[in-house]
Parts: sequence; C-alpha cells; structure tokens
Amino acid sequence: MSNVTLRLAPATLTRGLSRITSPTGRIPRPCIVSKWLQSRNLTVVAAPIQEAIPLRKHLKDEAKRKRAEAKSNGGTKPHAKDSRLKKWELTVGIEIHAELNTACKLFSSASAEGTDGVANTRVASFDAALPGAQPHFQVATLLPALRAAIALDCKVQGKSGWDRKHYFHWDQPNGYQITQYYEPFAKDGVLRLHASDGVPLADLNGAESIEIGIKQIQMEQDTAKTTHHRPSTYHIDYSRAGHPLIEIITLPHVHSPQTAAAVVRKIQMVLRSVDACVTGMELGGLRADVNVSVRERGTEGTGSSYSGVSGLGQRTEIKNLSSFKAVEDAIVAERGRQIDVLEAGGVIEGETRGWTLGATETTRLRGKEGEVDYRYMPDADLPPLVIGQDLVEHLRSTLPELPSETVERVRNLYGLSLKDAKTVFDLDDGDRLEFMEETIESVQRKLGRTDIDQLEIGKLVSNWIIHELGGLLTTTELNWESMNVTPGELADVLVNLHNKHITARVAKQLLSTLIETPASARSSVEQLIDDGKLRLRPLSEEQYQAFAAQIMDDNPEMVVAVREKGQKGKIMWFVGQMVRRGEEGTVEPEKAREVFDKLLVV
Amino acid sequence: MRSRPLALRVWTAQTNAHRRAFATTVRCRDVTERDSKGNIDVGKLLSQPTWSVASLLPAKDQQPGGPEISSKQLHHLLRLSALPAPKDAAEEAAMLSTLSSQLHFVKDIQQVDTTGVEPLRSLRDETAEGEQEAELGMEAMKEALGMETVRGRYHQRIRRRRRGDGVDGESEEGEKWDPLGTAGKKVGRFFVVEGGKDG
Repeated sequence: MSNVTLRLAPATLTRGLSRITSPTGRIPRPCIVSKWLQSRNLTVVAAPIQEAIPLRKHLKDEAKRKRAEAKSNGGTKPHAKDSRLKKWELTVGIEIHAELNTACKLFSSASAEGTDGVANTRVASFDAALPGAQPHFQVATLLPALRAAIALDCKVQGKSGWDRKHYFHWDQPNGYQITQYYEPFAKDGVLRLHASDGVPLADLNGAESIEIGIKQIQMEQDTAKTTHHRPSTYHIDYSRAGHPLIEIITLPHVHSPQTAAAVVRKIQMVLRSVDACVTGMELGGLRADVNVSVRERGTEGTGSSYSGVSGLGQRTEIKNLSSFKAVEDAIVAERGRQIDVLEAGGVIEGETRGWTLGATETTRLRGKEGEVDYRYMPDADLPPLVIGQDLVEHLRSTLPELPSETVERVRNLYGLSLKDAKTVFDLDDGDRLEFMEETIESVQRKLGRTDIDQLEIGKLVSNWIIHELGGLLTTTELNWESMNVTPGELADVLVNLHNKHITARVAKQLLSTLIETPASARSSVEQLIDDGKLRLRPLSEEQYQAFAAQIMDDNPEMVVAVREKGQKGKIMWFVGQMVRRGEEGTVEPEKAREVFDKLLVV
Repeated sequence: MRSRPLALRVWTAQTNAHRRAFATTVRCRDVTERDSKGNIDVGKLLSQPTWSVASLLPAKDQQPGGPEISSKQLHHLLRLSALPAPKDAAEEAAMLSTLSSQLHFVKDIQQVDTTGVEPLRSLRDETAEGEQEAELGMEAMKEALGMETVRGRYHQRIRRRRRGDGVDGESEEGEKWDPLGTAGKKVGRFFVVEGGKDG
C-alpha cells in the first residue's frame, strides 16, 4: 500500500454508505465497497483529528456527562429501592471486639504494647501454650474494662466466670479461647444516638434520640496474628495472642445501615474518651461483626427471636468488618440479597458470610452444617472474677467526660457551632480543646472586663485555634506536640486584636512568626508588635477618602465596572488594593469597605 | 444398739439414699465385725474388696445401657477432638463398641439426683472470708490505679502511663526465653504453618 494519506470520499458517496457504517463508530469489517474505497485512498470515516484537550476541561466534561447519566437513570433507581424498603424492614445486631488499653495481657504478664516491629517477642509461656503453663488473671486489665462498661451504662456483675470456647486453629495455641460465655461481667447497658451522630431521620421517628440496648460486655483473649504467604503458607506472630479484648453485644434495635455505622462510630468514640480502647478501627484495634435479617413490615418474620426481641426473620452473620464504610456497605448488600431471595420465594439460611472492600455482595463462608461446636465449659484453672462495688463506684465518679457531654459543655460555655465542637474535642487527643479553654480563660483575665460575653470570646478563640492555628500547623508540617505557642501568647495576640491594636492580617503574621521562632529566641508578643511597628495606626476619615480616591483614579475601568455594570463584588478588590498598598498595620479592611461603599455607589 | 462411728453412719446413709447409683455394686453390710473390745480387724476388713470397677461396665452378655452412637456422630466427635478418623470398618466398629461401654458407665453416673446442686468447677475457698480475699476492690486495684494520671485541667482526661513515660521498662518477671525455640518450622521471627488441604 502506498504511503498516501487517505482522502475523504465525496459527500454523495459518504451519505450512501452511511447506512453500512456501524452505529458504535467502530471501523467496519473490510467489505468489497470499503476495499474499493481503500484502493482509491478514500475513506468514509473521517480520520480523527488528534487535538490536545486540556485536562481540566476533560475532567469537567466527564463530570457533566456522569451527572446527566445519573439524572436519566436516577429517576428510576431510588424509586424502586424505596418501594422495596417500604415493604421490607431491616434489623441489625452488632458485636464489637475492641482491644483494651492495658500494660500486660489478660492472663499472663507479657507486655501488651510496643514490639519495635519484631515478631514473637511479647510471648509468655501461657501465650505459647507450653504444656503445664497456667493462666493468671492480671488485675490491671480490669480497669479499662470496667470503665467501658460504666461508660455504656451497664450493670456490673459482682461475680462473673471464665469459660473455654474450644476450636482448633493455628492462631489459638491452647485449642480454646478463654471468654465469658455463661456469666459476662457487665449486662444490660444502653447507647444513645442523636441525629448529629449520623442517624437518619426515618429511624428517629420524631424523637430526639434513639436508644440501642447493649446486651452484655465480656472480656476475652485475642488470637495470634497470621499473615498469608503465597498459596497456603501462614506466618504466625504470637505477640498478640492473649491480649485482652472486650466484646460488646448490642440488641437487635438497629434498623438501618447508617445507624449501624453510627453505632460503631459512637462506641469507638466513647471507648476512646474513657481511655478504655485507644486503637481505632483503621489500625485494627476494633472489629465489628453484624447480624442481619429482614422481615415484611407488620409481620413476625420467621418468628425468630434474640434475647427478648422477637418476631424477626432468619439472620445471617457478616464477620470481620474493618471500617465504618464497610459496615454500612456490607449491610446494604446483604439486605439487598436477602430481599431478593425472599421475593423470589426462597428461604434465608442461617449462615456466616464475609465481606471484602469494593465487593457488591457478601460471600458465604460457612453454612449451618459447618457450624462449629464450641463445647463451652467453665475454665477450672481460673477463679471467678469478683468485682468490688466500691471500685465500681469510684470509677463511676471519676469517669472522664463522655463525648456527648463534652460537646454540649463546649457549646453551652463557648458558643461553638455543633460542627466546630465535634471537630475540636477530637483533635490531638483532647489537647487542643484543653489549649482552647486555657486560652479563653487567659483572654478573659487579660481583658479584665466581666461584661465581655464569654460566647463572643469563645467564638473568636475557637476560630483561631481550629482554623488559623490548624492551617499553620499543616503548612509548616508541625504536629501538635512540637508546636511551641503557649496559651498566654495566643491570648496576647487575640487581646490585641480584640482591642483593635492590630489588624487580623497582622495577627496571623504574628502567629506564624511565633510558631517558627524557637523557644530560645522568644520575645513577648508585645515586644514583637513594637519591634515590627505592627501596631495599628488608624487612618482618619480624610486619609481613607484620599487614599480611596487615589486608587480609584488609578483604576478607572474597575470603577466603571462597579458603577455602571453593577459588579458589586469588585468592591472587595478595591479593599484588597488599599490593604496591599497601605502601610502594614494602618488599613482596616472593614473601614475601607465602608469608605468604598460610599464612594463607589453614587 | 451400740453406736457406730460417725463416718460409718454417714457412709451408709448415703448409700441408702442413692439407691439407684452403682446398682450393680454389692451393698456393703451395715455391721462390721468387731472383737470383744470393740476394735475392728482392719486386716480382715481390707482383705475382701467390696466393690469393683467391673460393676460400672456392662456384663458380657448384657446390652450396653447407653444411647446408640451412629457413625456420623463418631466422626463428629473425632473431628472435635482432632483425632484421626478410623482406618477401616473394623477399627470403627471397635471404637463404637468401646464408646458405648463407656457411655454405659456415664449413664450410671447420671442416675445421681442432682436437683438444686450447683456443678463444682474447682476446689476453692468458698467461705465468706475467702470471697472477701478474692474480691477486686479499691485495695486490690491500688497499684493499677497508681499507674494512671489525669491529663489537663479544663478538659480532664484519664491516661494510662505508658512505657517511656517514666514507667519501669521491665514488666515480665524475668521471663527471658525464646518463644521460637519450640518452633518446628520457622521463617525469620515467625512460626510457619502449612495451611494446605492436609495442613
């Protein structure tokens, strides 16, 4: 074939042949006509012109296309889903395993923290199941467990027992796990959730909050860590074997996937706030299993019941969910699957299922026939756990603030918005909130006047601490511990700002300077203001007017734009010009805005 | 009637009360032979066994009193105990017959009336003082409570002091041993398990 570029065939020929070309735009299979065209260096398909489309435009176009697509299908999908959900009601029960924050393991004195990355170092003889090794209950592990039970409003049992749950697995060296099957140490608790915790309005049913019952909390051992290598080899690390866990079992009071995720989130927050469990789900310190069943609204399902809640459908268990999103997605998928089966006339089997990230359906792990017979029996090596009532009362009275209490207190005292309050109490392990409260008190003291509204100060300080300070930390890539601004210094800056000795811009600069100065070369805020001549020297009205007139003369087009085209937004541009051209610490943006408003709007 | 020693009175009372237990046991006689001084001839008493373990097993021609065990149940039990399955039908038949004799014995034990009796889990001090000693109250938890600090003044939180916060690094009671010393197979610092079909 000669190296000649193909010419487009004449229009008449193209039209006639357009019926033959495939609708998907693929190059048609060589046929006699096309071969004839080819031999004359003609083509009916226009050669694609390779144009470089800017990436931003391409992404925007893609997003637009997706939205249009979603709109065209979106009309039908949610409608179909809603009608199914109107007919079928979901019920979920959740079991959470959380690692306790302790120094040693549950039944041996091997350390529970810090490996320096080396495997199989924190292993006592009982953890490795050496023959003859005996378990010894480590009493210090009781404290975080009790705090967790008290925080979740459970009744602590004076006497509880230890039971063996037998099964063979390479991560369970003893051949049984020591747990509290017959007599757990805490029962009958409750967890309260509000709309702000992520509960959908449909579940709230007009109430302020919903209550999820906690059936029991029990202490048990963790298994060893296994890693899978190649086809069927497993590497075992017994450092984690025997680590104390608490298992929190809720009653089947949850009726939507969002609420289920909210329950897990709330429990993690509560446990963290009382220092009971400090490793989160993302680090593997908290794992959730969910039990899912559906029933037709208004019926009794298959008549199954669990722990006093009756009239439920057959449930299936989804094991080992390791993130909040996974909890929600897995429940949605399982609900869909169960409704499909039931609507097709089938029966749900009580099986154990698994979920992997990114999947669309749960996978079957174990059926009813594969159910393990655990042969629970009391452990004869361990005495019963007897908990003194005085200890429980002491822990209850010294329990740290729960997250909902903190958020409420912070909102009432300092007037923070709900979003800000929830953000600040969680930052830096609570240290940022501590800093904020100290700063607020310092500001109040320095201002001296008691007529200043604490809410006003609270808003000012919280904005600076969450947004300004937070932003500076990100840009300078510091973490909170190495930040060396003291509450007193921040209070100084904010007091000056409040008294209009400096502008907001100057205040930000000061803060940035303070963060970057090492502790040794520190001078006080007052000194910094004086040295940098940053004190606000307010301009008089005439000076403002003169300055504004000058800028307006320099930029007649902008003036025209505002006056005649009515582009009010450009006024801020003028303000920005004045701030930039003016001397540091002289121009106040609010005042400049007023002046420009008067001058420009003629 | 001459009064019998207390132990003997209690023992016979028990054997009379649990009449059905050990039904094939030869009942011991109420009266032990004594000489004129009232002493027991110990040698004569101990020369004749009054009870044999054979009484717990079914007699040669007797049908075992326990429930029928199916082959499926046998295999389930073997799996639960991680014992190997029987090699052939003969071994399985032998296992089943041993198992049913053992269950005959268990059935005898189950004849004991245990209404209202809490199963014994282990021998422990169940007196009031014993339970008091075992109770974990403020006194017992003093040391653990001392390992925590309160952090913050305005927003008070409890934090356990971790190693490196001034806490003594040595927590193990001198357990200096290499866990991997017991490993049959290992790779680096890990135990190795072959999880294949046979593993």
